[in-house]
Amino acid sequence: MLSELERPGQLQLRVTDVKQFVYCPRVVYFSYLLPIEKKVTRKMEYGKEEHIELDRLEKRRTFRAYELTDDAERRFHVNLSSERLALSGVLDMLLVQGNAYYPVEFKYTRRPPELNHKYQLMAYAMLLEDTVGKPVRAGFVYVSEDRIAYPIDFTPNMRKFVREILASIREMIKREQMPHRARQKKKCVDCEFRRFCNDIE
Amino acid sequence: MYFLTDEERQRLLKGILPKSRSLEIAQELRGWNWHQPPLEPVYDIPLAVYEIAGKYCSTGRDIYLRRIQHLRAAPNKDMIMGSAFHETLASILVRAKRLIYLHGVDNLRQILKELPEPPQGIVERRKHDLSTEDCTELERRVSTIHEFEVARLSTRIQDTVAKQPYIKEDSLVATAIPVMIEQRLDGSFLGLSQMLSADAFVLPEPMIMDLKYGEPRQFHKLGTAGYALVMESLYEYPVNLGCVVYLNFNGDRITVSKDIHIIDDELRQRFMEERDQKARMIYEEIDPGVAKDCYPACPFRKHCK
Repeated sequence: MLSELERPGQLQLRVTDVKQFVYCPRVVYFSYLLPIEKKVTRKMEYGKEEHIELDRLEKRRTFRAYELTDDAERRFHVNLSSERLALSGVLDMLLVQGNAYYPVEFKYTRRPPELNHKYQLMAYAMLLEDTVGKPVRAGFVYVSEDRIAYPIDFTPNMRKFVREILASIREMIKREQMPHRARQKKKCVDCEFRRFCNDIE
Repeated sequence: MYFLTDEERQRLLKGILPKSRSLEIAQELRGWNWHQPPLEPVYDIPLAVYEIAGKYCSTGRDIYLRRIQHLRAAPNKDMIMGSAFHETLASILVRAKRLIYLHGVDNLRQILKELPEPPQGIVERRKHDLSTEDCTELERRVSTIHEFEVARLSTRIQDTVAKQPYIKEDSLVATAIPVMIEQRLDGSFLGLSQMLSADAFVLPEPMIMDLKYGEPRQFHKLGTAGYALVMESLYEYPVNLGCVVYLNFNGDRITVSKDIHIIDDELRQRFMEERDQKARMIYEEIDPGVAKDCYPACPFRKHCK
């Protein structure tokens, strides 16, 4: 890690870093700069179990939720990486129909996708574009509790914003500077890093 | 200047407008949620939109010098010219509206006769801050803008009256000149100044317009985003569109280009991030340091170098 930190422009990041940074930048700060063992919370364990179940069910479903015809193809847990972006990640599901590619992220909540999910999906789409060599126009966040696939159209401004997030993460790691805490206090309630933020009551 | 060409209107109606209506803006980034994070102001430092959106100095030291060191700098030539162009445009549009109300639709000939009268005092008020040469240049440009806008307004008024023979004054103003000039806004819900002024606000589909003189810059869109957020905070209806109008001169000719854009999640976040950073800088009295890429016309240049 240290050698990579010395050349932060090249520092390999993960797509989950993008998601976490938008949720709370300190999570990424702690992950990269504090040698602490991450506590596995009940929420994480539950997410893992749900993931396995969702994969099983998803294989049997039609493509109606995504408004695609049945000649589409599903690919699960797709490894994606880009040397150019120095970014990698594992996408939950990839839908392929003809020449069109749609990244899909599963979420185990009842709430519609939030901003961090949107940029996570965008980051996957950017990796996908580098892998398949063509633009990816849209993707989906699948909310499992409600079985709704929320379509997200990728805009040039979203791509730019993800690049800015990646640059901000690298800059933060380079400077070893503690970023501001999550703006919504409710996010701190069951955070595994809570005890390391000394400005949170 | 603020009226769209046929192509721009087509682009707006077929491209940008449907997209802006289908695009889901995160609720937390709508101005009416100013009472909760991330929109809720962290610091009690009211900022003007131009202070947040004007990123000509990449570190923001100009704001530090003005707000913390209380330094004053004389505006540069571009700033003086720009303010004169704004004033010219505002005066013509307001004058056209005034003439319609004053003379009434039945006296169209009188309205069109008085409309071309040039605005008074715009150059005179600025001549002490400019060289004689710049004054002459400003005079020529002000009259170019005036002529350009008078011609467009005359056509719009005549077209509207020709199409709607029974139209009355108020409706004629709203149809032919559907822009509110220098809309005054109270930005205090969002930690901004109580005395903001948006260059123009288009009524039919809420759109903030901002007139710029010179080269397009990415951060110009932050200004429209700021005003859109303030309008949402005040009136609780969505403002999804912004338009930066670029005015330039090619000899005695005017060139106008428009950057119509959606005030999307990303733009809103950038604006709020910039607001928080600048408010913190002032609150904590942090000197952000001299920018590496100072622009030559910066009025604070001598204080940094």
